[in-house]
Amino acid sequence: MKNYMTASGIKRRVLIVDDELINRELLGAMLSQTFEIETASNGQEAMMTLTQPDANYSLILLDLMMPVMDGFEVIERCQRDEVLKRIPIIVMTSEKSAEVRSIRMGAADFITKPYDMPEVILARCERIIELSEDKSIIRSTERDKVSGLYTRGYFFAYLQRMIPRLEKPMDALVLNLDRFHLINELFGRDEGDRVLATIGELISEKLSELRGIACRSESDTFFLFCERQQEYESLMEEMQSKLAAFAKSRSLRLRAGIYSCEDHESEPEAWFSRAKSACDRIRGQYGSLATRYNNELYERTVFHERLIGDIDDAIHDRNFVVYFQPKYRIQGERPVLASAEALIRWIHPELGFISPGEFIPLFEQNGLIRRVDHYVWRSAAEQIKRWREQYAMTIPVSVNVSRVDIFDPELEKKLCDILDEFSLTPDDLMLEITESAYADSADRLIEVVNSLRDTGFKIEMDDFGSGYSSLNMLTEIPIDVLKIDMQFIRRMLLDDKNLKLVRLVMDIAGFLDVPVVAEGVEEEEQLNVLRQMGCDIVQGYYFSPPLPAERFGALIEQECQKRGEASC
Amino acid sequence: MLTIEKLNDFGADTQEGLGRCYGNEALYLRLVGMIPAEASFDKLQGALQSGDLDGAFEAAHALKGVLGNLSLTPMYKVCCEMTELLRARTEMDYTPLLEALLTKRESLAALCAD
Repeated sequence: MKNYMTASGIKRRVLIVDDELINRELLGAMLSQTFEIETASNGQEAMMTLTQPDANYSLILLDLMMPVMDGFEVIERCQRDEVLKRIPIIVMTSEKSAEVRSIRMGAADFITKPYDMPEVILARCERIIELSEDKSIIRSTERDKVSGLYTRGYFFAYLQRMIPRLEKPMDALVLNLDRFHLINELFGRDEGDRVLATIGELISEKLSELRGIACRSESDTFFLFCERQQEYESLMEEMQSKLAAFAKSRSLRLRAGIYSCEDHESEPEAWFSRAKSACDRIRGQYGSLATRYNNELYERTVFHERLIGDIDDAIHDRNFVVYFQPKYRIQGERPVLASAEALIRWIHPELGFISPGEFIPLFEQNGLIRRVDHYVWRSAAEQIKRWREQYAMTIPVSVNVSRVDIFDPELEKKLCDILDEFSLTPDDLMLEITESAYADSADRLIEVVNSLRDTGFKIEMDDFGSGYSSLNMLTEIPIDVLKIDMQFIRRMLLDDKNLKLVRLVMDIAGFLDVPVVAEGVEEEEQLNVLRQMGCDIVQGYYFSPPLPAERFGALIEQECQKRGEASC
Repeated sequence: MLTIEKLNDFGADTQEGLGRCYGNEALYLRLVGMIPAEASFDKLQGALQSGDLDGAFEAAHALKGVLGNLSLTPMYKVCCEMTELLRARTEMDYTPLLEALLTKRESLAALCAD
């Protein structure tokens, strides 16, 4: 880990203190390509500059003989100050005796007058800064013992200091190993550490070329902050081949996610979490070793953040709209409107219609779905009551109970409060659960379902057959309705296997003695096949898409008329 | 206008002086052009007239630094001699040395004004 300190993407600040303007200009010209230069014309000015709040100097070049306050006094004052004494001082003099004296007082080095050629002076300054920074890092043990890179904390502290002085476009990289846990398990911790140390060395070797800094963030995750490169594939391939030569395991693969830091407004931590998400995306994909965090991914993140931020307004302003899709009994002479399923729609005032496929998985992830669910329960209950008043007919409505709701100790109370509020009974609000909740925590789900059923609620198993289907689950959880996943219905006439599966679910339902609801029915032929199989209830575009409450009201009205005619 | 040729004729080691400026001729000539107006010449003269050897040493030392850095060899050499004598607080008549130095300054000023 040599040279990278002076080579990393920041310009360090150097203070030149000399009473002669010509000398300041000469030195400035020599060093300004590499450093940010400030000047002072005597010791007093120098002390004022050094104690400014934003002063952050990496080196002081100090003339000794100056009016007002000479260089020796500056050295003395700096040595007395806890912060300033860390800044290395190079004295500029032509006197041998003064050299010795100043070094004894704490100066790091000296430059003689007349000056050497610029290259020599520059190299001297860089060396002294590097020595001093290495020393200070060693002193504060800021290095990760395993990899030899910075620790995460120091890395970010250092990065923060770099930001205001960055001149070139920078990239944030996250490097991660595939199957690292296997190394520890198969070959032991020592081998694991050896691999990490090797990666540390490989990264270190590249830092000066990349003009960057690096740390080991945790376990087998490394952060690298460097000047933007055209591509990183070749870098990763080079590291990969060197790593393969070292490591016992052939399947070890180092991959990188890259985030291009376009704005310096977001927090550096966010840059690396974006790079990390890109890095995670190619986990186990052997074709690519490096990938950039793309804008699409970024825009999705931003879009999702927006949705999360807008959820309160959506509830308050009723931008969430509950639609109702009718369910018909199909075993009688004519299809009879039996019930409905409540489906949420989000009509955003600025973004327009937002697909439930977009926001429901998002809110399921972060638990906000509980608020959405509660909103739907209340809206559905309110509507049931309104229809009952309007048409003197009760249309039971199925609502979704998400996985996280199952873990809410207040779940049952919340549901009952809603029933009370709108003078409904548990029969009116049917609860749909999915089998994924069973996979999470079977015991909890069984307990909750039993309790809800004891209260009188009807439980529908939604999307049956879609994911983690277990016959065992059906024997353990008492359910009232089985809903076949719509994928099977859609494919059942195209593919014999799907048809057989649907028949199988019918048999299971028959065995359990519960009705089956077929979702996603779009064609008459599907309807006929299902009727023949003994399916009880059908939902789908064949009858109607999900409708806003007023339009659903028209269906109830039709149903009333038909029943009236029948009874005539 | 000051040129490298003129400075070469003057006796300056322009190659070395330019080297310190990364070969930047404009910068070098600009800095050399500041020499005739250097305040240290007057300080040196004043201190010597009033017998202030310490003050004279400081001024000579300062001049030596800049003259050396710009490789104005003829002036630098005189300045070095004076600095060493003054450092040792040698009691002597500095007039010939000072005159020599000031004469060179005059000719440099003339080159600049040309």
